[in-house]
Amino acid sequence: MKTCLTAIISSLMIFSPMAYADKWSDQFPHIKATGDIPGDCSYEKMSKKNYKGKTLKINTHAIPVMGEPTALHAEQFEKLTGAKVEVTHTPAGDLYSKAMVPFQAGQAPYDVVFGFSNFINDWKRYLAPVPKKYMNSPEMKDVTKSHMGVSSWDGTMYQYPVDGDRHYLKYRKDVIDNPEMQKKYKADTGNELRVPRTWKEYAQMAKYFNDWDWDGDGEKEYGSAEVMKKDDLMFAAFFSRSVAYAKNPRTPGGFFFDLETMKPNINNPGFVEALTDWVEATKYVPPGGTNFGLGDEIGSFGGGQTLFSFSWDDAFIAAMQDDSPIKNKVGAAPLPGADKVWNRVSNSWENQYNQAPYIVWGWAVGVAKKSKVKDMAFDYLCFFSNGANHQADLAIGRFGVNPFKNSDFDPNIYINSMGWDPEIANSYTQTLLDMEKSNNRVFPLRVPGVFEFTSAVATGTSKALAGQLSPQEALDEVAKEWEAIVSRVGKKAVQDAYAVGVKMEDNKL
Amino acid sequence: MNFKHKYFFLFPGLFVLIGILIFPIIFVVRLSLSGWNSYNPGLDYIGLENYIRLFTDDPRFWESFFRLSFLSVTTVILQYVIGFALAHMVWKDIKFKRFFRVLFLVPMMTTPVIMTVIWRTFFHESLGPVNDLLSVFGVAPKWLTDPVIAKFTVIIVEVWQWTPFMFLLLLAGLLSLPKEPFLAAAIDGASPVRKFIYVTFPLMAPISIGAIIIRLIEASKIMDTVYVLTSGGPGTSTETSSFYIFIKGLREFQMGYAASMSFTYLIIMIISLTIIAKVLTKVLLKE
Amino acid sequence: MNKLYIFLKYFFIVVWTVFVVAPFLWALTTSFKDFQSVNGGVTYIPWVDFEPNLEGWKVLIKSPAKGGVDIIEPYFNSMFVTCTASLISIILGTLSAYALSRYTFKAGFVKNNDITFFFISQRIMPPIVLSIPFFLFLSSINLLDSLTGLIVVYIVLLMPIAVWIMVDFFNKVPREIDETALIDGCNPYQAFLKVVLPNSIPGLIVAGMFCIIFGWIDFFFAFILTFTEVQLLPVKIVALNSSVTPWWSLSASALVSVAPLIIVAFIVERYLSKGNLSGAIK
Repeated sequence: MKTCLTAIISSLMIFSPMAYADKWSDQFPHIKATGDIPGDCSYEKMSKKNYKGKTLKINTHAIPVMGEPTALHAEQFEKLTGAKVEVTHTPAGDLYSKAMVPFQAGQAPYDVVFGFSNFINDWKRYLAPVPKKYMNSPEMKDVTKSHMGVSSWDGTMYQYPVDGDRHYLKYRKDVIDNPEMQKKYKADTGNELRVPRTWKEYAQMAKYFNDWDWDGDGEKEYGSAEVMKKDDLMFAAFFSRSVAYAKNPRTPGGFFFDLETMKPNINNPGFVEALTDWVEATKYVPPGGTNFGLGDEIGSFGGGQTLFSFSWDDAFIAAMQDDSPIKNKVGAAPLPGADKVWNRVSNSWENQYNQAPYIVWGWAVGVAKKSKVKDMAFDYLCFFSNGANHQADLAIGRFGVNPFKNSDFDPNIYINSMGWDPEIANSYTQTLLDMEKSNNRVFPLRVPGVFEFTSAVATGTSKALAGQLSPQEALDEVAKEWEAIVSRVGKKAVQDAYAVGVKMEDNKL
Repeated sequence: MNFKHKYFFLFPGLFVLIGILIFPIIFVVRLSLSGWNSYNPGLDYIGLENYIRLFTDDPRFWESFFRLSFLSVTTVILQYVIGFALAHMVWKDIKFKRFFRVLFLVPMMTTPVIMTVIWRTFFHESLGPVNDLLSVFGVAPKWLTDPVIAKFTVIIVEVWQWTPFMFLLLLAGLLSLPKEPFLAAAIDGASPVRKFIYVTFPLMAPISIGAIIIRLIEASKIMDTVYVLTSGGPGTSTETSSFYIFIKGLREFQMGYAASMSFTYLIIMIISLTIIAKVLTKVLLKE
Repeated sequence: MNKLYIFLKYFFIVVWTVFVVAPFLWALTTSFKDFQSVNGGVTYIPWVDFEPNLEGWKVLIKSPAKGGVDIIEPYFNSMFVTCTASLISIILGTLSAYALSRYTFKAGFVKNNDITFFFISQRIMPPIVLSIPFFLFLSSINLLDSLTGLIVVYIVLLMPIAVWIMVDFFNKVPREIDETALIDGCNPYQAFLKVVLPNSIPGLIVAGMFCIIFGWIDFFFAFILTFTEVQLLPVKIVALNSSVTPWWSLSASALVSVAPLIIVAFIVERYLSKGNLSGAIK
């Protein structure tokens, strides 16, 4: 059934890119590529609802990433249903507190709140679960298993899926796939120039292509752009580098903690190796690169300044914009792996290749439990991600809406509507699809007080990057801090919450 | 004088202030005795646990406090010296007096949250103009990524933004100085330097103390600058108390603990400002 | 000697002017750039170094559904809140400051200086922890997400500054002039309004200006205490700060948000010079 639906939806897109001049696309030019796509929350269905006199209040991210589609679909929703929708925009770092302060004060000034999927544990008690009606809709059935998992807490969905996020590797195709560069690299280093399979290869290539003008534009280029600024996102970059060394498919029962004892794994040799790599990486980032936040990373790689980058889709999408000088010169690949992986049970390195996708947290949105217009709020979210809107959103890079439905992994979407090279579109969708299929995935930490844990990681790794502490010392400090947090929050509470995540990682959910 | 009148003057302001603040202040004190955090919001009573943690198990708070002391004292001294110099320069006749007076005020009017973003691009080590221009001389200071230089970058931005505050207060002070002492000094034939030391500066002392105290208070709340420029990095080298409290409070949502830190901070600041005010009065007013 | 002094003076003024202006010039040129001309390397002059475009400015008036923020309404909200709160703070603050300057208060060990310090000490507390109590306070009197609520909070922020500055200025107005006025048959309020206040215009101007500035640039309380009905300018502008930092529109908005205050600065400068009456007082 599911595959059949997928086929129908994707066939609709492939064979009729411009052919849909239906009445909805006349009225809403946003969806002119596909026209209205039938579904539970299509334009057609929504136009039959009447929410006149009701107001929906939404807090979303800053413009344009997520913020612009929220406002756009709000405007469309107003036109279709007669509702009044008020939208406020908040920078990413403040989304948590903006909703948390009123939540904790027992209020719900917003009906719909955007945030990140790793807020789920702190927010779920204030959010209404997604009603059955939507769970059974064909649109929902199309959502990938990983993203169903990310949006749900132990089987109950609290966050309506509107976006998919993960970390993957981006590289400059015009260098890596360039025969001349390959020859030169081979001659100078004795190694193959290829898409890096391990972080060591990544480091070697990045170092080689650092601090000289390899694309002939008159400006110097550098090795890698990464989030190294001590802020809310730094820990995610660190975990992306750690999964290869520390996520061992043969030792289930916890990546961040040992689930049984709740002893942190964060200072085991796997993580230390990753942090050692990362400290090394400060040598091949652009000047000022150790103060790069996500915005700088996107600007740096998207502006053609670096060979590699890894994190969310944004940098890749920025590089593939129409006005980008490196459009169709970049490639996507899974995160590098490692030639060895730590086994925390036998306390030894296993010398075999290991790679683990990091299904990092991303955009998530929920409906406040205390909202008086829950039906309308869920209808809005369902409308937000209906077939027509979703496909149109995917095609607009700055919207920050990324694939999370099975039908999204069709390269034709990107070839037809965004003008990508077929080869790049294929590697992009294949990379994302492989992550979904992997059995060695790592999910974000989603335990009570999650920000205390991640903030400790940011502080510790930041000290190591700045040379204040050695990697081992830094991570020992983090581990000590984590133990303190666990005992403050209560071991049982953290353990119960973490068990839910481990279940997903061990492919038992 | 009549007793009733003085209360009529004082009380409206005092009572409005107390009326609005009494609840929040009491709440903060109570909050500091609770374990309010992201997973357990509520005013449970945990005694002095937060304070014990702060005094025995949190070197990061004290490190950030000493860093803050260094940053705020340095910036305020610089602001005072530069602000006084500028005010003195545009006090009397100078070409384009009005233009300079207005221009020197402008930095203060920028919203720190937004302006610091511009400073960040300004000092951006590969995309900013400063290092691009300095590359002519073959130097490329790591404005934001070197633990020592980053502190000075923060100071530069703070001095840029808040020197106008000193400037305006001191200029207004200079402009409202009585003329007689200067006439007397002119008759005595005092040199400009002597005039400054013996006439201008003593007359400006009271307003100087006021300006320094209020700037110390404001400079200690330094927050947006650090947050946008470096987020307290590299490592923890630009982390200040207020930024650390921000992280614990609004990021990690350990509200109870943040309240105990704030309250401790408040007490320390009140004590040290009182001492500083006393010392300044002694030194500047020679009382 | 004198020549050297004048040379140094102008030299210093020029250096400082460059320092003050540089970030604004950088903001001005950045406001005409786009993603590629910001991230492709350092560029300075439009048309020569990069192709200028107006996108950074346009987003300030576009609707959010089209990727803009539309700052017009927040602009007026900010003006209204700032001016009202400043006015109230100045009135209340000036009265209190006058009392603290002219009369003696004593309650136990609390004296005038302690009361003055009490006012200013309200600004010491880091605002972060006040977010929840202020939220609960405003919600209990039903003023969350309203202009009035923000004004209430801003009075607390601004009045201490007014008091602190005005006490200093009143102290400089000789006591003899109120005494003369009282002897001439004025009551204390008339003496205050008609004699003391006109002699403290520089102080009033400065205090007023600080109130306006501190109100105008506040982000934190405007951010925490409003939801959808009321948006102030800084909060609205920060809504542009997405994953990709839009240097161009933030630069444009920095210039736009500073503009009205420059007009205020001109007015202030004018009155500052005019208000120089103290010398005339005998």
